Amino acid sequence: MRPFTFQRIQSLDQASARKANDGHQCIAGGTNLLDLMKKNITVPEVLLDITKALPDQIETTAKGIRIGAMVRNSAAANHDLIRSKFPLVSKALLAGASPQIRNMASIGGNLLQRTRCPYFYDTTLPCNKRNPGTGCGAIDGENRMSAIVGYSTECVAVHPSDLCIALAALDANVIIRTTDKKETIIPFKDFHRLPGETPEQDNNLPVSGIITAVDIPSNQFFKNAAYVKLRDRESYAFALISVAAALELNGNKIVQARLASGGVAHKPWRWYEAEAFLKGKNATLETFQKAAAIVVKETKPLSNNAFKVPMLKGAVEVALQNCLNA
Amino acid sequence: MAEGRVEGISKVTGSGKYAAEYKVDNVCYGVIVGSTIPAGEIEAYHLDDAKEVAGVLDIITHLNRPSIPAFENEESIKKSGFSLPVLHTDKVFFKGQPIALVIAETLEDATYAASLVTATYKQSSFNVDFDTTHPSIPLAGTGKERGTMDAWSNAAFVADAEYNIKHEVHNPMEMHATIATWVSKDKLKLWDKNQGVNNVQGTLSRLWKMPAANIEVISEFVGGGFGAGLLVWPHVLMTVMAAQQVKRPVKVVLTRPQMFTLVGYRPQAWQKVKIGADKDGNFLGILHQSKHSKSVYDNYREGITRISRMLYKIPNAKTEEATVSLNLSAPTWMRGPGDCSGAFGLECAIDELSYQLKKDPVQLRLQNLATEIDPDTQKPWSTNFLNECVEKGAANIEWAKYRKAQPASVKEGDWMIGYGMACGMWFAGRSKASAGIKMQKDGTISVETAMTDIGTGTGTGMQNIAHDNLGIPKNKIKVNLGNSNLPAAPSQGGSTGLSTMSGAVVAACNEFRKKIAELASVVDEAYKHVNPADIVFTKNGVALQTQGNRPVSYENIFAKNNLEIIDVQATSGPGEERQKYAFCSGAAHFVRVKVHAKTGKVKVDKIVSVVDAGYVVNDKAAANQISGAAVGGLGMALTEEQLVDHKLGCVVGNDLAGYHFPVNADAPIIDVSFIGKPDVNINPAGAKGLGEVGIIGMAPAVANAIYNATGKRLRNLPITPDKVLMA
Repeated sequence: MRPFTFQRIQSLDQASARKANDGHQCIAGGTNLLDLMKKNITVPEVLLDITKALPDQIETTAKGIRIGAMVRNSAAANHDLIRSKFPLVSKALLAGASPQIRNMASIGGNLLQRTRCPYFYDTTLPCNKRNPGTGCGAIDGENRMSAIVGYSTECVAVHPSDLCIALAALDANVIIRTTDKKETIIPFKDFHRLPGETPEQDNNLPVSGIITAVDIPSNQFFKNAAYVKLRDRESYAFALISVAAALELNGNKIVQARLASGGVAHKPWRWYEAEAFLKGKNATLETFQKAAAIVVKETKPLSNNAFKVPMLKGAVEVALQNCLNA
Repeated sequence: MAEGRVEGISKVTGSGKYAAEYKVDNVCYGVIVGSTIPAGEIEAYHLDDAKEVAGVLDIITHLNRPSIPAFENEESIKKSGFSLPVLHTDKVFFKGQPIALVIAETLEDATYAASLVTATYKQSSFNVDFDTTHPSIPLAGTGKERGTMDAWSNAAFVADAEYNIKHEVHNPMEMHATIATWVSKDKLKLWDKNQGVNNVQGTLSRLWKMPAANIEVISEFVGGGFGAGLLVWPHVLMTVMAAQQVKRPVKVVLTRPQMFTLVGYRPQAWQKVKIGADKDGNFLGILHQSKHSKSVYDNYREGITRISRMLYKIPNAKTEEATVSLNLSAPTWMRGPGDCSGAFGLECAIDELSYQLKKDPVQLRLQNLATEIDPDTQKPWSTNFLNECVEKGAANIEWAKYRKAQPASVKEGDWMIGYGMACGMWFAGRSKASAGIKMQKDGTISVETAMTDIGTGTGTGMQNIAHDNLGIPKNKIKVNLGNSNLPAAPSQGGSTGLSTMSGAVVAACNEFRKKIAELASVVDEAYKHVNPADIVFTKNGVALQTQGNRPVSYENIFAKNNLEIIDVQATSGPGEERQKYAFCSGAAHFVRVKVHAKTGKVKVDKIVSVVDAGYVVNDKAAANQISGAAVGGLGMALTEEQLVDHKLGCVVGNDLAGYHFPVNADAPIIDVSFIGKPDVNINPAGAKGLGEVGIIGMAPAVANAIYNATGKRLRNLPITPDKVLMA
């Protein structure tokens, strides 16, 4: 690890003012950043400890719920209000990492974690995200875990978060403070980026921006929500495929549906066409199978991950069925 | 149930020290720099940036390292038996090969500086692709062929298929670590993570051409080995060289990524098994062929087909093997080496045959198991109760009641349920070892040996054996292990540890009784003529079981003999029983799996393992071994695979997130039981080793259960959900 300076930050203004400086990097839970620093992937000169400056409360607002950026993943997952009114968030959180990591990891940091593509993590291998211009090792290499939608020739990495899949499904908003003391709101679907020609940029957070909270609007999905995560072992593994599904039902009729996936793209991926299809239909296995077929129409697997297509189809069906037994 | 382990409190409280945890005055830190190419030659090092880092003491490379006497020239390197003459060559054989060691005042300085070291190479072509290379490598006969292949060419039923297993990595929790210090110019001391201190001592003695007695190796606590600690690896030599160079103690701890390339792995393997039976299911013949990967610089070879010559009565048997050289680091023994891979081919093939025959695989095995004579050596088995393992296992999982002969016939919603089983066998070895007993004036004793305890419970077993023999309460018996100054012992590997130590501890107990009789006779002449076995050890002294008690206090024994300590040693090893008998441990594994029809997810929700390993010295530690092995078997079956990038020539995903060994949530409660009948011929305890046999046969049991659940025959490990879905 390279030598660095460690500063404790007391206020958000101070944090965003300093963060814009070269070589300055914020740290909250640190569960991803420390790995990146140990591997010399992120090499900050100054670490800004913002754990004291960030809000760490979960509050109800006029429109829904606000989760402070410093709320630990485990605290959010076990919070009564989240469990009862936003159970998809709790389910997704508990499907991620391990209890030890969830106890440290912050909500804001969860959004900013970087891909776990093995080519990104090994500094001796080519990776455009880590080292632009060196090429993508995964695209012709071991891409079993990589994307099946939204990738580019520059990068086939996937976003590793489970929480973000639920937040994308629930149309959350990312609340950001910048140096001008203004609050910027970025809708969740616009927060993370596709790789395109600049895979080194994971998201649209402004240079001086600090995530202060995530807002989730109130919704009627809490009775029928499910998170299905398929992975290579039962815990402590990133998703091969994950599906966040939520239904608002009137009797057996689907009033509204939400479907999002992890393990498929550079960002949390919403299946809008399938959602539109589900709207107004009866919640039957046949409907779910048709929706799953619509989902996989969009996909285009790589050399080693063709299996993700049938797996995604199965996972969508299972997640929608699970919504009925939630 | 036996009480806990002798080292349990030390381990859970942290007072037990692992190699890297010893505080050594004036220690500095080494960090290994690996090559960034898979094959070629080093042309130049670029060390300037690294040298500028504060705290850097030196950087050793093949150009400036102190030379290892046995690596003086090509000829002597060959003779040394050390396949990678680390820092004594400019050749690169695999990516990550150590090419330099940065030594600094702190670990942080050394780590940072190591990240700045680069080299220029002359690159050569390389090959790391096992699958496309092995078809062109010819097979050669191995082991004793019996009968002919023609004899069963008209077999009524034949199963003939190919099986593949990916490269797996041991990954014990404790990273390999060495602290080396030159106590004087010709005296070396090491705290080192390994599975055999005398092996490390002997190897270093040969390489540095110095007397073994001048080298002390300590490995008192070991956080898992699985075979990765049986050899002396390059980092140990680098640490010793570094300590010589900077004239200070040096500590080197491998990083987790380095654990994937610097301490061995289970090689990737291909197998083809053809097995025939008559219409009644009697096995007629087998042809078992296998190839496995190895490094271009090393000649590691494991006997994958051996198990096919041992397990069943098969009149005609032929086995052939080959190795495939790749630009990867050297593989080594990993739990159940050879047989564990071979059992996957053999036991799946027999399962395939059972469906052809429409015969219950349990019955098919019972009918064909060779429990009387070892078919390979034609010697009688000393004991072999594998048939009882199979019967007991079938009963414990209620096989007859729940297992359906028709595959894919049991469903619960989207889940398909299936049952599978397989057998495992491992030779039951025993080596020569020494043990010592020391008694203090208060009547407490310590039992000592150089052998390490890598977590198997050897120390606890030794305490149990000494207690059984001497009758001294367990809380008065200490165990000292893992120091080369203690009575010599072989490495702990191949499931020979306890079998070996039981002989040595019993011999030491007998020696101790003789010594006590001799010393007590100074107090009471009656002891001159006693049978030492007649002596009982009481709270305050000794007495005689017969001949009228005649108590003599410890106080008197010590005082009258003018002793501070009573100290005996004895050595014991195998004898002519090895000429008369063949020895084995056996296991039968049964599993129930649920396979999700839509997602390919496999959940093993029941495991029953029944083991025949002679007398069980400590049922808790023994069951622990089998449970751990079962989880290892689940990893082999379902999750463990080291990815290799064929274009870039290296392993990828070299951390615990990228390499998936199972977690607790992957394993059900494992139902372990033992036959428990002593093998009176193997050693005085009648106990056989059982570390390996618990994993041998577990992976085929899972694969066979997946077939029973789904009707899909998956012959390539690990069976990840993608393979289930795409089959």
